[in-house]
Amino acid sequence: MNLLNKNKLAKLCALTLSLSFASQFVLANSFVIKNATVHTATKDGVLKNATIVVKDGVISAINPRSYSQRKVIDAEGKNVTPGLIGAMNSLGLIEVNAVARTRDAGEEKADITFDTSIAFNPKSTLLPYARKGGVTSNVTSPRGGKSMFRGQSFVANLSGDFDSIVTANNAVVMDLGAKSKGSRATDLQAFIQKLEDAQEKLDEKAKKSAQVSEDESKAKDDKKDKKDKKLKRDEVIINELLAGTKTLVVHADRATDLLILIDLKEKFNLDLVLVGASDAVLIQNELVKAEIPVIIDAYRNLPSSFDTLNASLDNASILMKAGLKVGLYVGDAHKLDQLRYSAGSAIANGVQPNAAMAAITANIADIFNLDTGKIAVGKKADIVMWSADPFEISTRVERLWIAGDEASTETRQDALRKRYTTDSDMPRAYTK
Amino acid sequence: MRTNLPKVFTPLILVATISTLVGCSSDDDGKVTINKNPYPSTYTPLPSESVLFKNATVLIGNGKQLEEADVLIEDGKIVEVGKNISESASIEIDAKGKWITPGIIDTHSHLGVYPSPSVESHSDGNEMTSPNTSEVWAEHSIWPQDPGFQAARAGGITTLQILPGSANLFGGRGVTLRNVPSHTMQGMKFPDAPYGLKMACGENPKRVYSSKKVAPSTRMGNMAGYRMAWAEATEYKRAWDRYEAAFEDDNTVEPPKRDIELDTLKGVLEGDILIHNHCYKAEEMAMMIDLGKEFNYHSGTFHHAIEGYKIADLLAENGNCAAMWPDWWGFKMEAYDMVQENVAIVDAAKNSCAVIHSDSDTTIQRLNQEAAKVLYRAKDSGFELEEKDAIRWITLNAAKSLGIDSKTGSLEEGKNADVVLWNQNPFSVYAQAEQVFLDGSKVYDRFDEKYQAKSDFMLGQPSLLENATKNKAEK
Repeated sequence: MNLLNKNKLAKLCALTLSLSFASQFVLANSFVIKNATVHTATKDGVLKNATIVVKDGVISAINPRSYSQRKVIDAEGKNVTPGLIGAMNSLGLIEVNAVARTRDAGEEKADITFDTSIAFNPKSTLLPYARKGGVTSNVTSPRGGKSMFRGQSFVANLSGDFDSIVTANNAVVMDLGAKSKGSRATDLQAFIQKLEDAQEKLDEKAKKSAQVSEDESKAKDDKKDKKDKKLKRDEVIINELLAGTKTLVVHADRATDLLILIDLKEKFNLDLVLVGASDAVLIQNELVKAEIPVIIDAYRNLPSSFDTLNASLDNASILMKAGLKVGLYVGDAHKLDQLRYSAGSAIANGVQPNAAMAAITANIADIFNLDTGKIAVGKKADIVMWSADPFEISTRVERLWIAGDEASTETRQDALRKRYTTDSDMPRAYTK
Repeated sequence: MRTNLPKVFTPLILVATISTLVGCSSDDDGKVTINKNPYPSTYTPLPSESVLFKNATVLIGNGKQLEEADVLIEDGKIVEVGKNISESASIEIDAKGKWITPGIIDTHSHLGVYPSPSVESHSDGNEMTSPNTSEVWAEHSIWPQDPGFQAARAGGITTLQILPGSANLFGGRGVTLRNVPSHTMQGMKFPDAPYGLKMACGENPKRVYSSKKVAPSTRMGNMAGYRMAWAEATEYKRAWDRYEAAFEDDNTVEPPKRDIELDTLKGVLEGDILIHNHCYKAEEMAMMIDLGKEFNYHSGTFHHAIEGYKIADLLAENGNCAAMWPDWWGFKMEAYDMVQENVAIVDAAKNSCAVIHSDSDTTIQRLNQEAAKVLYRAKDSGFELEEKDAIRWITLNAAKSLGIDSKTGSLEEGKNADVVLWNQNPFSVYAQAEQVFLDGSKVYDRFDEKYQAKSDFMLGQPSLLENATKNKAEK
């Protein structure tokens, strides 16, 4: 009865809330953008003179015959794209790298259970700066500690609101490959064994439960089973990887490591994503066959280690031509405004513009099952309007919406610039 | 005049007896002088032919831009820049629709001293063992096989200064290089370019040495460290001056004891060595300017200068260059107050010297785009700037900072023919350097493998992808 009351109360509250805010919400995040050059980041490519209808923060129609929204924005032919998606950086977990008390991305004892979503700071000054670069959501990755598992990433939008976490613990992030102490074999071996052991347990359990159903004296075993069921938290996560319900993101570069990961994906049916993957170009066919997406840094082209001798500005283009799903990322959360420039650099090195746009929007969304990253019906209205070509340095963000709400691109940097470029007889501190 | 003793052939025993004088040389009359150039440049330009670029958009580097213009280079020099040049050249390049700029100059690089691959054995960029290591010279750490040099060349870099790191108050001497492939450092050394002395303000020295329980551990400790060193250097210089004056009357007078560390500081006090000061914050730069005045040297170029915009007037009044990133921020407290228009604000002051540097093996490959970021963000904020202005930040102003602006940094007649041919406006994200000339010799061609140098390190690596090397797929 108690439960019933609680439910009733919740429903009542929801109703009241929706009544009191209804008008505001509907007005705020329902609108139309017309006369836009829309980069859909889907197979539809670029649509000229297109109309996007946004209803309750979701894209509800593209080029409809009519619409009822009263708020209409004339894009005057400008480029409109999905909001860009950052990935594999520490956005919201670090304010100043060298200030320990602003750092929440790493932890010496971090393991596979390390959940940084609860440390996310939506009020970080890095968010407006990233918005100014057209970024509307992010897959934030932990830096981890000593373990090969960095921990688990999460998805957040860049609204700056306290409820901006979209999905906590969406993927396990790990490092494999060159080590400054010890051998890469140790981690590879440990990881393989972890998967094998967990799979073995699952298989045994399945076998047992099949037997048990036939067994008459069930009660006794039930008791024992319950004891078994209480899995450790890391075991639960490994099982989620084995079930394919949680994505596994691996930073690895050398072909030998990538080949082992391909085998593991096949054997255990992992939802595997590779990051870095500078040797991916050597084993394109294997990766295509195994349908493994890669997320790469388009600027990386130096042999910074013996694992990355094949890093090249051409890799994005080569991998895309081979048929792989390629996402691009910028690892420095302070520099997410570079994401679109890195895609521009990929274009300068052979990638088609539509594919480059997808690499910083739709492909990241596909890889992480995000409800954004495309101008398509049913997707969240994360939308950016640009002054010109979205990849060009001369272009700026003109307007930006997150789930249909317009967000500011004013930054702390803008405030500082204004202070020091405004004439005053008084000390600068009085210019606010 | 000093003469170099043939030290190689000097018997060991003799070396021992004159150990205090090692590195000095004695004139015929017995006067001891310090050899200021013991590791001289052996650089000679690669073979070249005269080249005439036709009908390009030409950014001179000094604030001027010419449309549909020609550039003639011969014998390693800029011969003429202008419309309809009638003279002929061995090679004529149709540059219609393309852009030409001076060779790009990076005032702040660690290529060769922190090379790729960045392995333990290669970490030679910072002698972090004492707050004052004025005695170390970055050139003695340079690995000329760093593949980063080639990558930078493909981005139009023709000249770069290699600096030691910033852990120390005095990090040692920097050296200016021609970005030409060589298997010796001397083969890259920019002939007659002044040495730089790396100094560092702020967080780095105080962090590194406080962890070693050595001064400095505070910013006031930093200042004390500089002042004590300059006071000592002043004494050292005075001792040498005294010796030289006394020698006029008495050629048996003993020279002062040689000190390699103080040689460098003395070189600064004599104006031979230029200061390159890693310094982020407004209040620190203001003090470093005064420090120079206190000890009679010029405070030189401030590197990184995240807060240059707060003291743009002060920098210009005192003739300081500031070499800055367009947008690095947030990695330290002293880098928290970045503004994207920093370079433009510093540049706007009269008699300013705003420079964009890389300090990175990645962005050195696209310093043109680094400049573009400032250009366009500043334009967004109402600054009146064009490409012809922005190019100065990575050419002529950079050359000024390095003391080589009479030789390179602009496409003015008589200067070294350091030229980059771009496929389009170099401030575009799509821009690629197609050909790069250094002293009139082609050192890079995007479409001709013959002009794409390869480091020893990359040669013969079995894992390298066949045919995936740059540019093969193109054209």
